[in-house]
Amino acid sequence: MRMQGDFYQLLKDRGYVLGMPGQAGVGQALTTATTILAFKYRDGVLVAGDRRATAGNMVMYDRTDKVLEIDRHSVMAIAGVPATAYEMVRILEHSFKYYRRTQLQELSFEGKLRALSKLLKENVPAALAGTGAVVPIFAGYDAEQEAAKIYFYDILGAEFEGVEYAVSGSGSPTIRGILHYVNTWGEQPLSAMSEEQAAVQALRLLTCAAEFDSATGGVNREAGLYPVVKSITSDGVTAMADPHLRSLFESNVSKGL
Amino acid sequence: MYEEPYRWVEAVGNRRQYLDAQFAQGSPVVGVACEQGILLMTMSKGTPKLYEIYDRLAFGGMGHPADLEKLRFTLLEMAHVEGFNRSASDVTGSRLVKYGIAPVVKQAFEEVFKAPFIVKIMLAELSQKVGKDGFLTITYDGVFEEKSRYAVLAASASVEQRMVEYLRPQSCVSLKDAVDLAIHTWAVGDRAQRHTDETGGDPKDAKGSSDQPVTDSQTLMTHVRQCMQEKSIECALLDRYVLGTSKYRILGSGELETLLPKDLSSALT
Repeated sequence: MRMQGDFYQLLKDRGYVLGMPGQAGVGQALTTATTILAFKYRDGVLVAGDRRATAGNMVMYDRTDKVLEIDRHSVMAIAGVPATAYEMVRILEHSFKYYRRTQLQELSFEGKLRALSKLLKENVPAALAGTGAVVPIFAGYDAEQEAAKIYFYDILGAEFEGVEYAVSGSGSPTIRGILHYVNTWGEQPLSAMSEEQAAVQALRLLTCAAEFDSATGGVNREAGLYPVVKSITSDGVTAMADPHLRSLFESNVSKGL
Repeated sequence: MYEEPYRWVEAVGNRRQYLDAQFAQGSPVVGVACEQGILLMTMSKGTPKLYEIYDRLAFGGMGHPADLEKLRFTLLEMAHVEGFNRSASDVTGSRLVKYGIAPVVKQAFEEVFKAPFIVKIMLAELSQKVGKDGFLTITYDGVFEEKSRYAVLAASASVEQRMVEYLRPQSCVSLKDAVDLAIHTWAVGDRAQRHTDETGGDPKDAKGSSDQPVTDSQTLMTHVRQCMQEKSIECALLDRYVLGTSKYRILGSGELETLLPKDLSSALT
C-alpha cells in the first residue's frame, strides 16, 4: 500500500524524475559557490545567505535568494547547483502542503527532515556526476518539542544536527572557525543573543566570507544589496527588511571596514 | 433492460429521487465573501465538512463522507500537481471543477449500473483583489454553477432558493458581519429542510404564522442554539491578510467566541 499523503510519490507515479544524471567530467561551468549559515539565538534560529550566483569565474547574478521559506516554520538554505536546489525546495513546499491538506495535520519536523534526505538520496547520481550536487541547511521550529533546530547535509543525503550552528558553501571554512570562537570565547554564546545581535553577527560573518571567498557576494551599499536574513521562532518565519539590515550594517559592521 | 431509452430515462429519474432523499438530513453549507476574505460555515457532528484544497481554495460539502473524501482527494491531487508543474496562479476552481470533477460526477450519475456520488460540493476561491472572490457549486449530477458574493448548499433547490432570498439583500463587510449572516442563513436553510423532511412537502410551507418564512433573528438563533446541543459550528476562512501563501484557516473556538452573536458565544462554552 502506498504511503498516505506522499506528494513526491504522486509526482513519480505521473512520470516525474528529479535531476537527470549527466556524464561525469563534462567540464561545464556550473553555479555552485556560496555562503550560507544558521545558528540558534535567544528566540529561535537565524538563517542567512549571500546573494551571489557564480559559474566558474563569472558572476551570474547578484540578487539570488538562497534562504527559502518552505512553510511557515521551516527554511532551507541552499548551496550547490541552484537548478536542483530550487527544484527540491518546490517539491518540499508542495509535499508539506499536500501532507497537511490530505492528512489534516502538519507533517512532523522529523518527517520534514526525512523528506529532504530522500530527495538528496535520489539525487546522488546527479550529484556524483557533478551536475546536481546540493548541500543544504534545513532549519525550523519543531512545534512538538517547542525548540528551534538546525540540520546540515552532505551531497549523499547524510543528515547531521547542528547543535548550535551550521555552515555550508565555498565561503563556509572562513566563518566556521569564527563561529566556534565567538560561541566559545565571545562576550556571550550565540544562544544568548537577541535577534538584533544575531543579525549583526550574521552580517559580519557574511562580510568576512566575502572578503576571502570570491564566490560569496558581500554587501553592495551602492546597489542597496544586503544578504538575505530570516529568523524562525514559534511564531513562524520572518524575513528581515533591507532598510533594517542597512541600518544594522552601517552602525555595527561598516565602521570596522 | 436499460438499452431502451425510456428505461434509461426512468432509471436516471429514480436515481435522482433516491439521491435527493439522501441529503434530507444533511447540514447546509453557507459561503459568504467579506472584506477580509471568504467565510465558509456549516454545523457538523464529528466529521468536518470544510477543508483546504489549495493556497486560495476551500471546500465545503454535503453528502456521504466517503464520496466527499474521494472527490476531495481528486481535487487535492489535481491542484497540487498543477501547482507544481505550472504555478499556483494556474490552479483555479473553475478549471478543477469544469475539467476535473464535473465530468467524473456526471458520468457516475448517468451510469445506472454503478453507484453515483452522493455529494454536493462548494469551492470557494479567494481572488487577489477584493470584490473578485468567487464560488463554484456542483451537484450529484455534475451540474455546476459559478457565483460571486455568496453561495449555498442545501438538501433541495427550493431550500437553497430560500437561503439565497435571505442572503441577497444583506450587506456584509466585516468578518463579524459574515459570521452573523452565515449563521442566520444556515438557520433559514436548516429550518426549511427539517420542515420539508417532516411534512414531505415544499419548504414554502415552512412559514410562521404569516405568509413569509421566519427570518427574525431571535427565532433563527433559538434554532441554532438547539442544534448546538448535538452539533458544533464549523467556520473556515480564506483570509486575505494571513501571512504566507496558504490563506485557509479554521476559526477556532476562541476566535469564534468573539465573532458569534452574544447569545451563541455563551452557548459555545
